[in-house]
Amino acid sequence: MSWRADALAVWAVVVRNALMASRNVFFFFELLFWPIVGVLSIGLMTRFLGLTPAQTSFVLIGTIALSVVNVCQLEVAYAVLMDVWAKSIKHQFLAPIGIRHLTIGSWLVGMVRGVALFTLLAVLAWWAFGFRVFAAGGGPVAVFLIGCFLNAWIVGVFVCALITLFGNRAEAFAWASVNLVLVLAGIYYPVSVLPPPAAAIARAIPLTYFLDAYRAHFGFTSEFAAPIATGLGLSVVYAALAHLAFYSCVQRARRTGLLLKMSE
Amino acid sequence: MSSPAASLAIDAREVAKTFRSGWFRPRTTEALRGVTLEVPRGAIVGLLGPNGAGKTTFLSILATLLIPDRGSARVLGLDVVRDSLALRRRLNMASGRPSFLWSLRVAEIVAFYGRLYGLSGSVLRARVDRLIEEYELTPYRRVPYSELSTGLKQRVALAKSLVNDPELLFLDEPTLGLDPDVSVRVRAHIAALRRERGMTIVLTTHYMREAEELCDDVAFIKAGRILDAGTPDELKRRIGLGDVIALRLEPTAPAWLATAAGVLRCTTNDGWTECTVDEAEKRLPDLLGRLQAEGVTVRNVRVREPELEEVFVELAR
Ligand SMILES: Nc1ncnc2c1ncn2[C@@H]1O[C@H](COP(=O)(O)OP(=O)(O)OP(=O)(O)O)[C@@H](O)[C@H]1O
Ligand SMILES: [Mg+2]
Repeated sequence: MSWRADALAVWAVVVRNALMASRNVFFFFELLFWPIVGVLSIGLMTRFLGLTPAQTSFVLIGTIALSVVNVCQLEVAYAVLMDVWAKSIKHQFLAPIGIRHLTIGSWLVGMVRGVALFTLLAVLAWWAFGFRVFAAGGGPVAVFLIGCFLNAWIVGVFVCALITLFGNRAEAFAWASVNLVLVLAGIYYPVSVLPPPAAAIARAIPLTYFLDAYRAHFGFTSEFAAPIATGLGLSVVYAALAHLAFYSCVQRARRTGLLLKMSE
Repeated sequence: MSSPAASLAIDAREVAKTFRSGWFRPRTTEALRGVTLEVPRGAIVGLLGPNGAGKTTFLSILATLLIPDRGSARVLGLDVVRDSLALRRRLNMASGRPSFLWSLRVAEIVAFYGRLYGLSGSVLRARVDRLIEEYELTPYRRVPYSELSTGLKQRVALAKSLVNDPELLFLDEPTLGLDPDVSVRVRAHIAALRRERGMTIVLTTHYMREAEELCDDVAFIKAGRILDAGTPDELKRRIGLGDVIALRLEPTAPAWLATAAGVLRCTTNDGWTECTVDEAEKRLPDLLGRLQAEGVTVRNVRVREPELEEVFVELAR
């Protein structure tokens, strides 16, 4: 496949996801409501508990990261989810494209949504709680966002794999299982407070390292030696695994007939 | 490249597929039990058969959507399993119960798939415009898919299936649920695709009229096996249904009629005597001659060839 055909296939998915997002009445609700509720309720809780500004920033960074990852992973999962809902999935697997075009295209849209949400939540956290997310500077913010997006990509692709493995009945299960993993990533607490088995899982999650690296700019000492490199390294490994899983599940669906059952 | 295999669009040998479903108590369905079929390039071939015969399963295997358990299938000279990606560029498929993303508009759907097939810029725009015009979708190009009627949805599916200008097109019940007027036009379109672009088309249908009108060859599938294949006329002859000569006779039909040469059976119904004969053209002159010689008046004669539908019923039994 030429790079031009590759780019076109990715672009096709970008346009489709963007159009679908723009048509969805609940798009803004989905994009904004829960993240805003999250930041406000967590922020108010920190006030009630009388946390220090540093502690508040720790918790708010976690909340914002979780929201950004969620919005982006949902968009990545839309690579197959929308077609599964519409029962039109077979057409995109009839076309001469690979799964990478689907996952990259929807990821690009997810990143746009993620950046928009991040900006909005940053403004909200600053306005409501005086927390300046951007205080760390452009570089660290960019690295932090890249970390969130990589995690979202991995999670979204695994959700795609689970859905092509079990069909859309597995949707709830797919979300639950991946979110369970995220909760362990030290969203609201340092990994050191987790019981050893949970901490071991947390150490296997790339997001843990990106949170750690970003929080280091807010006065917390890093728990890891080279968090960014570790996070990136893990992300590459998981992204490869997720795509392998997705590919195998699509091939399996071609063998079992699930691809047909999920269409028309 | 003039070997017989190269002139075949489809060369399927002993293709078998068994579905296994259910995680806890697995059920198995033998959908195909060794299907062998050759389709020459540029032909329109119809797959006929009762519900659940395996028609859609077979089309899906040929279109690379389903991997067969056994057997081999070469489509446009490529193996459906090993060369699936290269093959996908050159074929396409539409079905009679299409579905696409609900909130996308007609032109957006065609354009989305066009991009997946590597079209862009002015080429893409021209292709989308042409297809929308050809399928009379111009007034609907900005209408969301969910707001279209069955017939319009089908036309969108057909337009989408032509977006990559395929050499081979699979149509799974393309006129399902269409009104007669639209069906006629869809059939005319299908015939034109072959005539004007030399496209090879494999379709399934439950309308025998459609099969007779469109297809050079038909294959009857039942319970995952091809029972018979050939031109509609060949099938009728092979099944031996015979032609029906209906006569209005006065005063009454003579007794010898039922046992005359070439007459398979005779029934009387509502003043008409219906004789099923092996071949009407061969037997009619003799019968009329004998009737006239005996002073029986022949008030009316109708000759009816068997319908493919009768062949279907016979084979499906
Ligand atoms: N994805 C699938 N999973 C499990 N079983 C399937 C699947 N698709 C088809 N089958 C079964 O395989 C058999 C053949 O089905 P198929 O859809 O090929 O029949 P068909 O000839 O197209 O029938 P129809 O005329 O009703 O469309 C049926 O018994 C059907 O229940
Ligand atoms: Mg069918």
